[in-house]
Amino acid sequence: MYGYGLLKGLRVTLGNFFGRAVTEQYPERRPFISPRFHGFFQLDLKKCNGCGVCSLSCPNGAIQVTSERDENKKRFVTGYKISLGYCLFCGLCVEACPRDALRFTQEFELSSYRREDFVCDLLEIEKREKICSREPA
Amino acid sequence: MESLFINIGNLCREKVVELTEVLNLPEAFAGYFMVLIYAIAILTFVLLNAIVLVYLERKIAAYLQQRLGPNRVGPRGILQSLADVVKLLGKEDIIPRAADKWIFRLAAVLVIVPTVMVYAVIPFGKDMIAVDLNIGIFYFIAISSTATIALLMAGWGSNNKYSLLGSMRVVAQMVSYEIPLVFSMLGVIMIAGSLQMSDIVAAQKDMWFIVFQPVAFLIFIIAATAELNRGPFDLPEGEQEIIAGPFTEYSGMRYALFFTAEYANLISTSAIAATLFLGGPSGPWLPSWMWFLIKVYAMILFFMWIRWTIPRIRIDHLMKLNWKFLVPLSLVNIFVTGVALKLFSGW
Repeated sequence: MYGYGLLKGLRVTLGNFFGRAVTEQYPERRPFISPRFHGFFQLDLKKCNGCGVCSLSCPNGAIQVTSERDENKKRFVTGYKISLGYCLFCGLCVEACPRDALRFTQEFELSSYRREDFVCDLLEIEKREKICSREPA
Repeated sequence: MESLFINIGNLCREKVVELTEVLNLPEAFAGYFMVLIYAIAILTFVLLNAIVLVYLERKIAAYLQQRLGPNRVGPRGILQSLADVVKLLGKEDIIPRAADKWIFRLAAVLVIVPTVMVYAVIPFGKDMIAVDLNIGIFYFIAISSTATIALLMAGWGSNNKYSLLGSMRVVAQMVSYEIPLVFSMLGVIMIAGSLQMSDIVAAQKDMWFIVFQPVAFLIFIIAATAELNRGPFDLPEGEQEIIAGPFTEYSGMRYALFFTAEYANLISTSAIAATLFLGGPSGPWLPSWMWFLIKVYAMILFFMWIRWTIPRIRIDHLMKLNWKFLVPLSLVNIFVTGVALKLFSGW
C-alpha cells in the first residue's frame, strides 16, 4: 500500500520513544564490561615464577620481566614492567603464561597525561594492593 | 479559569482607560495602548514557547532515536535553551564584507515580522482572538507567505553561493506548497461558509472538520511541513550540499531570530491546524485556552514525530510530489466537498 512504509517508520520511532535509551551515561554510571574484556593486567605473585614466557610471546615486546634465583635455585620474579603504550591488548601473554599467573581485569580507564606513565610496574601494584587490602601475604 | 485571560485583559483595559483620563489624553489612546499590550502578550507567548520548543524538539528527537538528549544544564537539561540564548546573545555579530549590508540586516528582522503578525487572528480561546477579522484565514495565508521574501533577502544579501542556492530552494518550495496548503483549507472554509476564525470554530461545535475533511487534513499536514521547512522537507538546509542554506552567513542574535521565526511558524501553523481541523479551542471540562494549548502541542509533537522519523526527499521529488500529487488531489477534494455540500445541504 502506498505510504505504508511511512506508517511503519512512525511506529518504529514511537516504540523508541517509549523504550529505553541506549546511551551510556559513562562517568556517572559505570558501563557493563563483559567478563572476557581485555583490560588492565593482574599478576598473581604466588603463581608467577618469572619464567618470562609472557615477555617472549609479546608481539610488540611491551613486557619486561626480571628474575633471580634463590638459594634453592628456584626462580622468583623481581620486576615486571608492562608498557601500555606499546600493548595491543591481544592477550597472547595471558594465553602463554604456563601457570595462569597473568590475567586481564575489567579496568579500562588506562589513559594518562605523560608517556612515562604508560609503563606500569605490576609487581609494585600487586604489593601496594596487598598492603591496602591487608591480606595475609 | 475559563475567562482568566479575558479578565486580565479587561483589568488592563480599565487601568489603561484610567491612565489616559489621568494624563488627559484623547480616548483613542486607550485603544492604542491596548493594541500594544496585546502585541507584547503575543510576543511573550511566542518567544516563551519558542524557547520551550527548542528544548522539546531536542528531547523528542533524542527519545525517538534512543538517545537521552540535553541533560547537563539544569535538572534533565531543562535550562539548555536558556544557556543557548545566552550564548547566542554573547556572540559576535558578523556581517561579511561582500554582503549587501542593508538587505542582510533587514532580512533577519523581516523574517520575524510576518511570523508574529499572523498571531493576530489565532483564536487562543473562547473570545480570545486579538483581532477577529472577517477574512481571518485569508489574512493568515497572505501574511505568512510574505515570510518567503525575507528568506530570499537573507540568501541574496549574504552574497554567498550557498546562501543564494538555499534561498532559491526556499522560495521554490514555499511558493509551490502554498497552493495545496490553501486548497486544503478551502474544503474547511466551504463547509464553514466563512473565512472568520470564530465562525470556523463555531461551525465545529458538533463535529471536528477532520472527520469531514480527512484528505484535506493530510494534504494540510504535508504542505505545512514543507511550508515550515521541516523534515522530511528541510531542503533549504543541508550540511553536505548547501551548508545552512540562507542562514549560512548569519551568526549570533541574527541567527537566533531566524531560529525563533522557525519555531514561531511551527506554533502558528499548528494553531491553524488545530483551529481548522481539530475544533479550535472547544472541548469539555477544561477551560478553552487550555484545550487550545493541548491541541496545538499535540500538532507540534506530531510534526516533530514526522521530522525525526522520515528521511528527507530529493528536491525534484519534492516538486513532483507537490505538482503531480498534492495539487490535483486537493482539487479533487474541493470538487468532492462541493458535490457533497450540494447533496447534503443540511450542513
